[in-house]
Amino acid sequence: MSEITRMVVVLSLIAGFCSAALTAANIQLGPLVDKQTDLYVRGPALERLFGKPAGEVLGNKVIIHLAEQDIPVFFTRAEQAVSTLAVEAIGRGGFGGDLKIMVGIDLASERMIGMEVVSHSETPGLGARIEEITFRRQWQGLSTGDPIALTKDGGTIDAISGASTTSGAAVRGTNEALVFVRDHRDEILKSISELQKDS
Amino acid sequence: MAQKFTATLTAGLWKRIPPFRLVLGLCPSLAVTMSAENGMGMGLATAFVLILSNGAISSLRNIIPSKVRIASYIVIIATLVSIVEILMKAYFFPLSEQLGIYIPLIVVNCIVLGRAEGFASKNPPFISMVDGLSVGTGYAISLTLIGSVREILGAGSWFGMPVFGETFEPMAFLVSAPGAFVTIGTLLALQNLFSRWRGEKFIQG
Repeated sequence: MSEITRMVVVLSLIAGFCSAALTAANIQLGPLVDKQTDLYVRGPALERLFGKPAGEVLGNKVIIHLAEQDIPVFFTRAEQAVSTLAVEAIGRGGFGGDLKIMVGIDLASERMIGMEVVSHSETPGLGARIEEITFRRQWQGLSTGDPIALTKDGGTIDAISGASTTSGAAVRGTNEALVFVRDHRDEILKSISELQKDS
Repeated sequence: MAQKFTATLTAGLWKRIPPFRLVLGLCPSLAVTMSAENGMGMGLATAFVLILSNGAISSLRNIIPSKVRIASYIVIIATLVSIVEILMKAYFFPLSEQLGIYIPLIVVNCIVLGRAEGFASKNPPFISMVDGLSVGTGYAISLTLIGSVREILGAGSWFGMPVFGETFEPMAFLVSAPGAFVTIGTLLALQNLFSRWRGEKFIQG
């Protein structure tokens, strides 16, 4: 065997073996990683949204598969019926990239219970103030029937001063979540009842 | 054989202790030792990678053609580091968030590649793994030590537990980047002074 072939064969063998090992590790530990991400990244947002410890609500999770993306939906129950949903949405076009937000929706009264930021990379002191309660509180009690908008576009949400790009991204993400829930409500409820049967 | 075994096992703890004696792998030593816990986590992750990569590279040392050895080493090391990263995300999520980019950067840590090239490629698997264990343990101890000094003096706590009373005013600059240089420099100077006092021969400079 010539030297060149030997090099190619050895290197490919090593690379192949390494990819196999990595794939195995990913498949084996993937669900655990997802669980930990839920607990530490989404957990705090869910806790504030639902007012319950994260451990209680993290299990109440269904994933709706759409053509473009998978959307995680969390829910709580009041007397057997599903009462509130928390839908994760991407707020596109933030100042430092996309925002990941969670929109809480009360199904009975068809109003929002709040908006929480799961992760963002906005400027500290400006866009990062999206985490502050004074901004997020504006979402509470808004109707889910109509899209929301910033005041400069004739809506009710006051943008954070100096960070209208960030505020706009949060509003866009919310509207996406509202449309998603309106269009896929039956699908979400069906997945939740299937989850109930399984457990 | 037995003599070589003991020599290899103890070398990493004093004679070759990283990062002080080897003065390799300084980047993570400076960057992640804000607290004792971070230092220990980083040190243990590196030690784990070091033991396994030394073992793997040493068992393949006669198969790998010397022209592509660095590429092969990097592939093996990168695989091990990715596995460590997945393991950390699955079991120690908050720690992996804190260490962030420095976990994937173990791939290019000079200690790991240095031991692979300098030791594992010339010695049989078992003794190479002993070398990895010894150097890795030395690195973990050093990082924990640096982290402890910075955390105790800079934040007034050790592994998150408060050590001084309420009245202690921490030297906050020690937990920021300049404090890392000062701490490592001081520890290195102390070690060299001690070696000189004992008349050891391997002092740098």
